[in-house]
Amino acid sequence: MDFTLIVALVIALALIFDFTNGFHDTANAMATPIATGAMKPKVAVGVAAVLNLVGAFLSTEVAKTVSGGIIKEGDGGIQISPEMIFAGLIGAIVWNLITWLRGLPSSSSHALFGGLIGATIIGVGAQAVAFDVVLAKVILPALIAPITVGIVAYLATRLAYAITRRDAGKPDGRGGFRYAQIFSSSLVALSHGTNDAQKTMGVITLTLIAGGYQAVGSGPQFWVVACCALAIAIGTYTGGWRIILTMGRGLTEIKPAQGFAAETSTAATILASSHLGFALSTTQVASGSVIGSGLGRRGSTVRWGMAGQIALGWLLTLPASAIMGAFAAGLALLGPIGILLDVVIGTVVVYVLFQWSKRDSVSHDNLHDIDDAGHVVKIKKTPRKPSRKDRAKVAL
Amino acid sequence: MIDWSAFLVVAAAALVSSAVVVSLYSLGLRLLTTAGRIPTVEPAEFTGAITVLSPARAAKDAKRARKARKANPLTHTQKRVAQNAGYLCFALCGLIVLYGVYLIVPALHQ
Repeated sequence: MDFTLIVALVIALALIFDFTNGFHDTANAMATPIATGAMKPKVAVGVAAVLNLVGAFLSTEVAKTVSGGIIKEGDGGIQISPEMIFAGLIGAIVWNLITWLRGLPSSSSHALFGGLIGATIIGVGAQAVAFDVVLAKVILPALIAPITVGIVAYLATRLAYAITRRDAGKPDGRGGFRYAQIFSSSLVALSHGTNDAQKTMGVITLTLIAGGYQAVGSGPQFWVVACCALAIAIGTYTGGWRIILTMGRGLTEIKPAQGFAAETSTAATILASSHLGFALSTTQVASGSVIGSGLGRRGSTVRWGMAGQIALGWLLTLPASAIMGAFAAGLALLGPIGILLDVVIGTVVVYVLFQWSKRDSVSHDNLHDIDDAGHVVKIKKTPRKPSRKDRAKVAL
Repeated sequence: MIDWSAFLVVAAAALVSSAVVVSLYSLGLRLLTTAGRIPTVEPAEFTGAITVLSPARAAKDAKRARKARKANPLTHTQKRVAQNAGYLCFALCGLIVLYGVYLIVPALHQ
């Protein structure tokens, strides 16, 4: 097979992955403001798309780390071939679509790393994977980050409620947190752009370096940055409404103060870790902070069943996409026919998943239907008015 | 190999910065409320999670806000001070967020 053709295929697949990454992760930034009514759903995803586009141009630090980290490459190590990257991307895209179908906010970065690791193990051998780097840079942050950000979001929520607390019955102005949410969620979207779009840029750059089109150790070229930025922005605008539903309502009922606290914690954590060169999973950070803020408000409940399901999705992401990547790599080893088979099987799987999704499609339109139903349900208002007994206690 | 101190730094930085931002904004809201300018922001769209604020409830809130403004024990000057302090809090909060943006753009500080 012509070498340039496989490079072109990899770039196309990488951009498709970037697109799925975009719509998979819209929820990270925009689920909470949509849930509290800070922004209309369509406006929210539009803002997220623009900020992702801008964010992708702002920084290429993470791209440089990705293109030379997990898989040993370059002169001293073992050369990873474009075929293996190709196979890894197929694994990552398929897993992203499966989790999207289930409405699970799983990590797109883990899917990408998993796919690449699986493909490398089959294509080159287990010795080509830097397992110590995987442990230090992927697995440990994945365990620590959601818990840390959960604690941060919990404390931030408690603070927000404590500071704005007034005597029961008096207006507390907490609706004002909706304005703040517009900014805090925008910051999350922007940091997502500076973080996640970079991963695809890193992969494309890695391919170009492996193919000898670019000098070893150089950063991503401008057209790569532009294409990736566009792909993730379009993906974000398409919106993963299923995951928005899960994040906005499935975990806990979110109020403006909580949403603001959660978004601020998410943004602060992502910004701090990007600044220090960590490649954190935006999704895991966002989910952790939603749960943390759910714990932080008195009287709110966290649906631990759903949280468990999401955590299971996280655990499965790396191995599952690794297996798919390995399978695709096994086929790719057969040569051009194998690559062709990969493309055909990948397309069929994606097509089937999309058809499947149409059976119960979730979009910004029928988000409404559910809302109308929710209108009817009365929710106990907080702060609760003190009963006569409570007031008597205070009087004593 | 595993850089534990980096984890600690990220956690501490995230904790401090989000605590400061959230406190400042909450304080701003609190001050505005004290000044009698209670922000009643209606949700852009009624989604399921916010049924607490049905249109009737929102109207009730606005009425209560008007009432609270009238029955405010503070003098005019005190209100002005609280209100301006509130705006100052919002401004500080915004500056911190801008600093966050500045941090993620390497082109700005290299």
